[in-house]
Amino acid sequence: MKKQPEKPFAFRGKPFFAAVLTGYAILAFLNFSGAIAALQKSGMILLKILPILAVVILMTATINFFLQPKQIVKHLGKESGAKGWLAMLFAGVISHGPMYAWYPMIDDLRRHGMRDGLIVVFFYARAIKIPLLPMMIDYFGLLFTLILSFYILLGAIAQGLILEKLPSSDIEY
Amino acid sequence: MENSKDKKKPPFKKVLKKSCLTFWAMAPLLLGTIGLVGLFQILVSPQMLAALFHNNPWIDTLIGTLSGAAAAGNPVVSYLLGGELLQQGVSLYAVSAFILSWVTLGFIQLPAETSILGVRFTFYRNILAFFFTMIIAVMTTFTLRLFI
Repeated sequence: MKKQPEKPFAFRGKPFFAAVLTGYAILAFLNFSGAIAALQKSGMILLKILPILAVVILMTATINFFLQPKQIVKHLGKESGAKGWLAMLFAGVISHGPMYAWYPMIDDLRRHGMRDGLIVVFFYARAIKIPLLPMMIDYFGLLFTLILSFYILLGAIAQGLILEKLPSSDIEY
Repeated sequence: MENSKDKKKPPFKKVLKKSCLTFWAMAPLLLGTIGLVGLFQILVSPQMLAALFHNNPWIDTLIGTLSGAAAAGNPVVSYLLGGELLQQGVSLYAVSAFILSWVTLGFIQLPAETSILGVRFTFYRNILAFFFTMIIAVMTTFTLRLFI
């Protein structure tokens, strides 16, 4: 596996951020209090996910510190085997916070050789939210929760396997 | 041998700084996504989403998947809304699809996902998640009916 060359620092997604800011400006022009309310909502979301981002940054650094790219390939790459699939199922189930908070870590692992099928498994297994299971049981019943969780795990693996059969889902850098 | 390898290892502080920089570089994408979620939560109310259902189990499953993917926010809201939809007579197929797509799909995060993980990967992942959400919703309801 060739080592990815280090890229110089550059912000990513500036046009997207500018487009969102434009959306806020338009909303403020049409409905100022609505724009302020949206801004407050966003601020609350940011405050909520900051600790999660801190954990994700720490996890990324810890993985990079203890695992060399070769080891990442061994555990999460093409030769990872059943252990890799199970590890990502587990990681997905216990991961917390919104999906987009995990993109940078997944991107980092992918650059170090993590296979795409495992990323799909991770993202789909996140549908099982352990802290919210009691609430789901309360609303929809224990049997529904068990059956749905079982199919989510099966579905996550199936999607990972299918993705790896699709043409050229290779890294795109 | 192991020691000489460890000596080559950069200190944890340096690795941590690199991780912080990686995340900082993605700040516009993350902030933009959070900003979009805030906008969406103000502009689209849960009642507007609930009004989309028509009490046809099959069409509602598709609507449940699409509206769950379009929605944003804490999954708890999807449970509350799902419970209300069930009481209004919306099928369990549709409600299962709705609460599942709420956490597995997200139109709002597509720009960030595309930019970070690539167009092709994002396309494949979302198409697979879309179909599997509907399949799992139908299979969950079918299986549940075998027991009750």
